[in-house]
Amino acid sequence: MSLVAEAFVSQIAATEPWPENATLYQQLRGEQILLSDNAASLAVQAFLQMCNLPIRVECRANAEYMSPSGKVPFIHVGNQVVSELGPIVQFVKAKGHSLSDGLDEVQKAEMKAYMELVNNMLLTAELYLQWCDEATVGEITHARYGSPYPWPLNHILAYQKQWEVKRKMKAIGWGNKTLDQVLEDVDQCCQALSQRLGTQHYFFNKQPTELDALVFGHLYTILTTQLTSDELSEKVKNYSNLLAFCRRIEQCYFEDQCKGRLS
Amino acid sequence: MAAPLELSCWGGGWGLPSVHSESLVVMAYAKFSGAPLKVNVIDKTWRGSRGDVPILTTEDNIVSQPAKILNFLRKQKYNADCELSAKQGADTLAYIALLEEKLLPAVLHTFWVENDNYFTVTKPWFASRIPFPLSLILPGRMSRGALNRILLTRGEPPLYHVNEVEAKIYRDAKECLNLLSNRLGTSQFFFGDTPSTLDAYVFGFLAPLYKVHFPKVHLQEHLKQLSNLCRLCDDILNSYFRHGPVAFSSMNRNQ
Repeated sequence: MSLVAEAFVSQIAATEPWPENATLYQQLRGEQILLSDNAASLAVQAFLQMCNLPIRVECRANAEYMSPSGKVPFIHVGNQVVSELGPIVQFVKAKGHSLSDGLDEVQKAEMKAYMELVNNMLLTAELYLQWCDEATVGEITHARYGSPYPWPLNHILAYQKQWEVKRKMKAIGWGNKTLDQVLEDVDQCCQALSQRLGTQHYFFNKQPTELDALVFGHLYTILTTQLTSDELSEKVKNYSNLLAFCRRIEQCYFEDQCKGRLS
Repeated sequence: MAAPLELSCWGGGWGLPSVHSESLVVMAYAKFSGAPLKVNVIDKTWRGSRGDVPILTTEDNIVSQPAKILNFLRKQKYNADCELSAKQGADTLAYIALLEEKLLPAVLHTFWVENDNYFTVTKPWFASRIPFPLSLILPGRMSRGALNRILLTRGEPPLYHVNEVEAKIYRDAKECLNLLSNRLGTSQFFFGDTPSTLDAYVFGFLAPLYKVHFPKVHLQEHLKQLSNLCRLCDDILNSYFRHGPVAFSSMNRNQ
C-alpha cells in the first residue's frame, strides 16, 4: 500500500472496534496451499490468537489474486482488507491491541531484526525449496499450485509463478546457491533463533510478541509438512528448545483448532 | 594461514578506502580480525574481473560475496567475533538481515537509481575506473541490476513502478537507521569495546552514505542527525584506515 493509503486505513481502523466476523483468506488447505504461504497464514493466525481477536479462516482458490498486495494471507475486517503480517500488526495496533508495547527501544529493534532474519533466511529458503529445487517442483509444487484450475491454466500459472520466484532469487543473489548451501543457511538461522530463545518461554519476557507468532508459523509448518525429503525438518529438529517452543504455543493457543501433531 | 590473500575491489574517494558497500564490509572485517589482505583496486587497465566484486583470491580459491568471504576468513582463523557470546552472535545475524532488507534498497536507490545522483556522481566515478568501451556498458548494467533488485523485493504487482516504492523504502531505511542508533546507544562499538562483524557491516553500508557528496541528500541528512552512528564511522575510519586521506573525516568529528 502506498503511504497515503496506509495512513488512511490507520485512521479508519482506529475508530472501529474489532468485529465478530473478521475473516482471514488463504488458499485451499488440503490441495493447494504451499509451505511458504501456509507458514505466513499460520503466523497471522497465531498473532491474532495471541491478541485474543476472533478470526474465521476461509479457503479460496484465488486468494492470491484477491489480496491487495498479491501475497497471502490477508484479512477482511469491517470494510478494510490488509495483507501480510507486517501491515496486519500495524492495523491491529491502530485498533488498540499490541503485543510489543511493553518492550523498550532496544528490544523493539531486536524484535524487528529477528523478524527480518526469519523473512530473509527461512522464508527465502522455503521459496527456494519449493520453486527452485527440481525434485520438489516436479513432485509437489506444480501439482499443488495449479490444482484448482483446469488444463492448461494449471501449468501456465505454475510456470509463471516459478519464473517470477526464480527472477527474485537471482536478484537477491540466491540464484547460484545449491540446496546444501540453502540448508546450511536454514541451520544457521535456526541456531540463531535457538540461541536467542535460550531457556525462556518466549523470545521476550514472559509474553509472546509478533516475533513468536512468526517463528511459530514457519517452524511448525516446516515440521509438519511432508516434502520429498526430510532434510529441512531435520535441521529444525536439531534444536530441542525450538521444538518445545512450538509445542508450547500450539498447546496454549491452538488446542481447539489445530489437528496436526508434532512427532 | 600463510597463503597470500588478495582482495580485488572498487577504490576509494571522499575519505573512504572504498566507495562500494560490499568491498568496504570486507576491508573493515579484515582490519578488525587482523587478516593480512593485499588490496587490488580496480582501475582502467584490463587486469582482473569486474563482475561480482569484491573477490578474494588465494593460491587455490576464489571467493566472492561478502558473506562467503567472511566465512572463509573465519575458517582461516581470522575471527573478529571470538569475544562474542552465543546470543550476540545470533543478534549479529539478525541485524545483518535487518540491514539487507531495510537499508540496502534505499542505499542502492540513492547511488544507482536516483537520477541526479546517478548521473552526476555515481556513473562518472565508476566509468572513470573502467576501461573503455566497458565504461559505457557496465555502469548502466549495475544501475539496472539495482533497480531490478529494488522492484522485485519491494515492489508490488501489478504496477512494478519505482515511484510507488520510493517513499516506502526511504521510510523503512530511516526506521532502520533509528533502530541501529537505539541499539548502539553510547557504547563505542555494537558489542562492547572491540569491533565485530556487525560493526563491519554497519560501517560498510553507512560510510558511503555518510561521506559521498550527493546532490539529493535526504537520507544522508537523516543519518547525519544520528550522531552516534556518524561517530562509529569516523572512529573506524580514524583507527583502522588512517593511512588513507584523513582530511574529510577530521572535518566531521562530532566530539
